[in-house]
Amino acid sequence: MSLLEIIAGIFEGFRVTATVTALGLLYAIPFAFVAGVLQHFLPGVRRVLVTTVIEFWRSSPVIVLLFVFYYSLPAFGVRMSAMTVASLVLGLNIGGYGSQAVRAALQALPHGQVEAGLALGLQRWTILLLIELPQALRSMVPTFMNQLIQLIKGTALVSLITLTDMTYRAKELAQVEYNPVGIYSGLLIAYLIICYPVTVLGRSIEQRASYAESKHREF
Amino acid sequence: MIENLTGTVEITDLDKWYGDFHALRRISLSVADGERIVICGPSGSGKSTLIRCVNQLETHQKGKVSVGGLELKPGAGNLAPIRRQIGMVFQQFNLFPHLSVLGNCTLALTRAKKMPRTEAEALAMENLEKVRIPDQARKYPAQLSGGQQQRVAIARALCMQPKVMLFDEPTSALDPEMIKEVLDVMSALAKDGMTMICVTHEMGFAREVADRIVFMDEGMVIEEATPDVFFSNPRNDRTKKFLSQILH
Repeated sequence: MSLLEIIAGIFEGFRVTATVTALGLLYAIPFAFVAGVLQHFLPGVRRVLVTTVIEFWRSSPVIVLLFVFYYSLPAFGVRMSAMTVASLVLGLNIGGYGSQAVRAALQALPHGQVEAGLALGLQRWTILLLIELPQALRSMVPTFMNQLIQLIKGTALVSLITLTDMTYRAKELAQVEYNPVGIYSGLLIAYLIICYPVTVLGRSIEQRASYAESKHREF
Repeated sequence: MIENLTGTVEITDLDKWYGDFHALRRISLSVADGERIVICGPSGSGKSTLIRCVNQLETHQKGKVSVGGLELKPGAGNLAPIRRQIGMVFQQFNLFPHLSVLGNCTLALTRAKKMPRTEAEALAMENLEKVRIPDQARKYPAQLSGGQQQRVAIARALCMQPKVMLFDEPTSALDPEMIKEVLDVMSALAKDGMTMICVTHEMGFAREVADRIVFMDEGMVIEEATPDVFFSNPRNDRTKKFLSQILH
């Protein structure tokens, strides 16, 4: 097998890798925003509860979470497909990190912004949606792009719970072809082919965000 | 109806603490509809805290604040509709940097008052006209000078057609050459007959515009007088000392 054939063979697992990433984002983005906003707003005990949930997802090794959710939970009657477990675990793990970017961005805004909104008689949630989040979003972009790449790379672990993603395909090929050097090098290249365009995209989004800012700053 | 409030402000026996620090001590102040009050005093005297209690950006622990006869209770859920009747201008402008000048002026009109966009923009332009800055409507705050930003902030507050305007040291963050343009706009407003409460160190403005000057120190109202009496014949020693320090 030539390197090209190896990469083509590995990309047969691309659909699974892409699906886990996409579904993972469906968990990660809402979780990041809801948890980050709640952590920013809630007082006392309720805040501690939210923080505990975030820390659970952020501080546990992804591989352990995958095993627990896929192999241990069925013993308690909770059965989920491998795809559900994969996107849930990876998504909420990345979302846990994302929530801290959301919280930090909200906390970094000058308090006068909220006060100006309150003084105008806006409701608190209107202020969050129309004044705080639009400004905070801009400073979150670099972190979010980083986390998207983390998520894509993280999907390599789902091969351990029977999903036939790119890494799983590479292991299959390696068993048949007896060419681990060629095949795992091909796998590395396959991930680079996916992740590099994402970093480029991320940089251009960052630039656009900061360009809009500099346009606002110009005299 | 909240929309028909008059511009009276009634502060009765107000007490506020920050932890152990007694920031406001039994303050009472009543402001008639259309009256212009200037609050002055050394820094840390509680004047900003007092003005921020009027629209409950600061909550008090004792006493009563009411505007147009409606009491503003700390932490009450119905503050927003009353706040729409009270305009506020901040020392640091607090414009929304992600919105254009027009967007800053129309946000609360379209969101809180549910006014149609075209109507809101017409009202915004009218008020930008009033603060002499209609040509900057499409610009963003960071493209404007400090004086221009503060005038936009005044227009933004006026758009809500408030019955009372609160000014919290509106010129203290401005370069000296920009102070006048903001004070001119405020003087013009004062002639329109709106209730105004201004915390400021601009004694020229106070002399010209105020109906009454309130001097505060250590969280208390020390002296209240018309500008004539206040500047020429202050009764209290602390007032005299303060005036001698600022009127070189």
